[in-house]
Amino acid sequence: MRKRRSISQAYARQDPCVDTPASVPHHEAPLSSQSLRPYLQCVRSSLTAALSLSNFASQASERHNVPEIEAASSPEVLLNPLTVSRNENEKVYIEPSINSVRISIKIKQADEIEHILVHKFTRFLTQRAEAFFILRRKPVKGYDISFLITNFHTEEMLKHKLVDFIIQFMEEVDKEISEMKLFLNARARFVAESFLTPFD
Amino acid sequence: MAAPEVNHLFHHPIADHSFSADRQTLAVARENNIDLYQRSGDKYTLKDELTGHDKTVTGVDIAPKSGKIVTCSQDRNAYVWEHSPQGGWKPTLVLLRINRAATCVRWAPSESKFAVGSGARLIPVCYFEEEDNWWVSKHIKKPIRSTITSVAWHPNSVLLAAGSTDGHARVLSAFVKGVDERPEPSPWGERLPFNTVCGEFLNNTAGWVHSVAFSPSGNALAFASHDSNLTVVYPSQADQPPKAVLSISTQVLPFMSLLWSSETEIIAAGYNCEAFRLQGSEDGWQLAGSLESKGRPGVQDQREESALNMFRQMDLKGKVTDDTKLKTVHQNTINTIRPFEEAGGNVTKVSSTGVDGRVVIWSL
Amino acid sequence: MANVNWRTINIDALDPDSPANFDLSSLTPSVTPVSTADVQSTAGQIRQLLRGGDNEGALQGALENPPYGGDDKGKEVHLATVIEILQSIRQADMSPILSRLYSAPGGTEVLDVLMKYIYKGMAQSNAANAANTANSSRMLTPQHTSTRMLTPQTTGFSQISSRGGEGGGQAMSVLLSWHEKLVEIAGPGSIVRVMADRRTV
Repeated sequence: MRKRRSISQAYARQDPCVDTPASVPHHEAPLSSQSLRPYLQCVRSSLTAALSLSNFASQASERHNVPEIEAASSPEVLLNPLTVSRNENEKVYIEPSINSVRISIKIKQADEIEHILVHKFTRFLTQRAEAFFILRRKPVKGYDISFLITNFHTEEMLKHKLVDFIIQFMEEVDKEISEMKLFLNARARFVAESFLTPFD
Repeated sequence: MAAPEVNHLFHHPIADHSFSADRQTLAVARENNIDLYQRSGDKYTLKDELTGHDKTVTGVDIAPKSGKIVTCSQDRNAYVWEHSPQGGWKPTLVLLRINRAATCVRWAPSESKFAVGSGARLIPVCYFEEEDNWWVSKHIKKPIRSTITSVAWHPNSVLLAAGSTDGHARVLSAFVKGVDERPEPSPWGERLPFNTVCGEFLNNTAGWVHSVAFSPSGNALAFASHDSNLTVVYPSQADQPPKAVLSISTQVLPFMSLLWSSETEIIAAGYNCEAFRLQGSEDGWQLAGSLESKGRPGVQDQREESALNMFRQMDLKGKVTDDTKLKTVHQNTINTIRPFEEAGGNVTKVSSTGVDGRVVIWSL
Repeated sequence: MANVNWRTINIDALDPDSPANFDLSSLTPSVTPVSTADVQSTAGQIRQLLRGGDNEGALQGALENPPYGGDDKGKEVHLATVIEILQSIRQADMSPILSRLYSAPGGTEVLDVLMKYIYKGMAQSNAANAANTANSSRMLTPQHTSTRMLTPQTTGFSQISSRGGEGGGQAMSVLLSWHEKLVEIAGPGSIVRVMADRRTV
């Protein structure tokens, strides 16, 4: 019995999103809906399609070569943006253009604690953006963190590895946030217990 | 089908490449320079470097007969390089008169002029002015609305096809008085003063056109666009709608470059990192398969992984194995694909270069 | 006018020849305006098919007549119709239906339209609500109508309510499984066309 429990706990740790509430009957639809896989698969194929970039010099200012998605100086080189969403709180927004793609991620925030943790966590990352190459210093409005991938990135790095990086980031960040929350709660409980012990 | 011949030159994108007519010299555009490679045995060794541009070089073309090399760059300039008898290459600046990047360049088959695509929404057609000892240009302006991404010449050296990021592929006249002779009438038109628009084509999805090419006879035009479509146009006669416009929506990522290997076959390559063969005629076109031979050696050397890890990968990332090497010969987008060897009017070998710095020669 | 900050004026927008003023309508010459009433009547016919149990016919009908020229309202109506159809088809039937649609003449076009609707459905934040009003789906379980978003939690220390109603999770999950099946058949080329095509749904 003991062993069994530890496995299920470990599993819940790995992917906090699969632990469905016990009240939900285990039939096909809810299970698959809770799984992360179709969501990440969809992000993966969308990114693969969007990351078809080429070297494109600016039409607006001479001798410049800038990410068109940021400059937005010629509407015809921007493509229709795509949204992949798992639910209202977990979304990826992909804005493609001829030489750059902006990818924005909305990280799951189920309650206020997670909201604070996500805010602190993304702030920590964006302040160190130069170490991450593709991280944008400021997220797009409505999202928690944004990446900017240009043709120069796809030229010197492998495209499918860039996609892997984003996917891995997405799954790690969920894990990270829920682990931090667990730590926080455990600590809060510990603090509360030791605070209340004298009154016991 | 013989195995493709792979030469890994360096770890930089190759924007464009061109072989000399004897296939002994290879010119590749590498960052701000053009590298000239000489074939020795089955390898290519660096022989010369043409320096002069101060921004990314976007186009290079060797004229087959005269051996002159024309290059263009995002620094808005084009040079014609001539081999001087003392050795070395002598550049001549071309008066392009454009104020945005030059994106591509191609010699006309007659080699008396060349066309340069530009981000200034015009195409300078350049020819040599004997009196002033200059390469000068005439601009094709209308009706271009965005950056020209590729140009291709009709065999008669008068008609020019141009693809643009405004989604249109156009057939235009680049007739220069005093340089060209009056062309034979063709299905594209009979009277062709400079800048005549002989055709303007847009497919339904209107993606940016990456590449255009005339068929060997010049009586059909193919263009590949950034909606994974490849469109073939068969003109009927001047000022009439074309006989057939066939658009193939492919399942793969967009093509960056294409060439006609015969009247009924097109080779196209692009973001899928592999070259595809398309076959058809006026009645219809279809994707006939990849040039890659399946199951090449070197693909199977994947690491053994634990079952747990494998299933975890499948569940979390939606993929089975963790591989850094692509299964294709090219490891990144193919930018240019060009005829390498011809026999009896058909192309029998093609060369391709891409972002991964490889030059690959394929037998068809 | 005296306190206009001249330096912040976008002069490119004022120059008709500037690349910033590219006329995007030149990329969609074949789109003709469609009135919302027309879209609604098509939606009615398609619902008829759906009620008759012909899911596949309904899907095909809906995808063959996308209201490219409609206004926002008309497009919304058609989106609701398509989503309703998608939700009424069982997971096991998805792949067979898609392969049949693909092999029919004009199949790639139809699947491209479906891909557009899948992305549009996911982009719509209130897709779950739209589906609710369409009251169609066996996929919707009561827990997903919970209005967690409307009642802010008083305490941040509760973990209990954090899992239950994932806003629109079920509706999205249907779209995600359609997307997965569709990519298997239509390939990444179809996604590229959704991005490139200026004829939006």
